[in-house]
Amino acid sequence: MNEQEILEQVRSALAQIKVAGAETATMESSWADLDVDSLDLVEVVRILEDHFGIEIVDEKLDGVATVGDAVRLVEDISQEGATA
Amino acid sequence: MSAPDGAVALVTGGTRGIGAAIATRLRADGWGVATLGRSGGDVRADVGDPAAVDAAFAEIEARMGPILVLVNNAGERRDQLAIRMSSEQWDAVIGTNLTGSFNCTHRALGGMLRARWGRIVNISSVVAEHGNPGQANYAAAKAGLLGLTRTVAREMARKGVTCNAVTPGVIETDMTTDVADTLVDAVPAGRVGRPAEVAAAVAFLCSEDAAYVNGATLAVDGGMGA
Repeated sequence: MNEQEILEQVRSALAQIKVAGAETATMESSWADLDVDSLDLVEVVRILEDHFGIEIVDEKLDGVATVGDAVRLVEDISQEGATA
Repeated sequence: MSAPDGAVALVTGGTRGIGAAIATRLRADGWGVATLGRSGGDVRADVGDPAAVDAAFAEIEARMGPILVLVNNAGERRDQLAIRMSSEQWDAVIGTNLTGSFNCTHRALGGMLRARWGRIVNISSVVAEHGNPGQANYAAAKAGLLGLTRTVAREMARKGVTCNAVTPGVIETDMTTDVADTLVDAVPAGRVGRPAEVAAAVAFLCSEDAAYVNGATLAVDGGMGA
C-alpha cells in the first residue's frame, strides 16, 4: 500500500462525509482549507479505520492538520501492524 | 437540504402506546419506518445493551436503508418513593430511558453525519421539569434526556442534524392507565392527551419545516407544565 493509495482513501473518506473539494484534495490541503472540523475528523478516522483495519487512537491525531499528515499516520500505523 | 431518498425512521419502543402512534404517523408522512422493541417490533433489542443496539441498527440498515430519523421513545416506569427505591429500580429506569437513548443516538450519529442530514427526537416527559413523587428514577432519566438533547443539538448543528425533545403530559396509554384518572385534575386542558397528539409534534420535528428548530423542548401536555 503506497502513499497514493492511502491518499485516494482519505479523499474517498472526505467525499463520504460530503466535504466540498474532497476529490481534488492534495497532501498539502489542510483541514482548515477543506472546512473539516473536529467532528468531521472523527468520522474520517472511523472510515479509514474500517477500510484499513487499523485503530487510530485519539492521541495520534494531535498535530494531524493536513491530508498529508493523515496519509502518513495511516502509513505508519499500517506498517506497525504489519511488523508487530 | 431535504431528507435523502430512502432514509429510514427508527422508533424505539414503537410497538405500543406513544411509540406505535409515532410509527403510524411517520409512515403516513411517507417515511420508511422501523420499530425496535425489547419483545416486539421489526427488530428486537434491549436499548440498554450497546451491542444489541449496534446489531439492530446494522440489520435495519441492511434491510431498509440508512437510519436518518431516530425517535428515542423506549421507556419504562418503576415507581417508588425515593426513600424506598432500590438501586435495581433506579438502574433499570435510567438504563432504558436515558442510557438506552444515548446508545441509539451514539449509533445513529455517524450515518447522519455522513449524510449531512438527521433528525433525533427524544421523548422526555412533563416530569423532567417539575418532578413527581414516586418517580425519582423516571424524572431524573427524563431530565437527563433534555441535557442529552441540548448537547447533541449543539454538537451536530452545523451538520444538518437536529436533536429536539418532546415532553408529553398525561397521555392515554397502557403505561398510564393506573394514574391517568388521578392526574387529570392537574391538567389545565381537563383531559388526558392522545398518543396521536404526541406523534403530531414528533412528525413536525422530523420534517423539513423544523430544520431550524434545534435543542428545543416541545411540551405536549395540555398546559400541565405551563
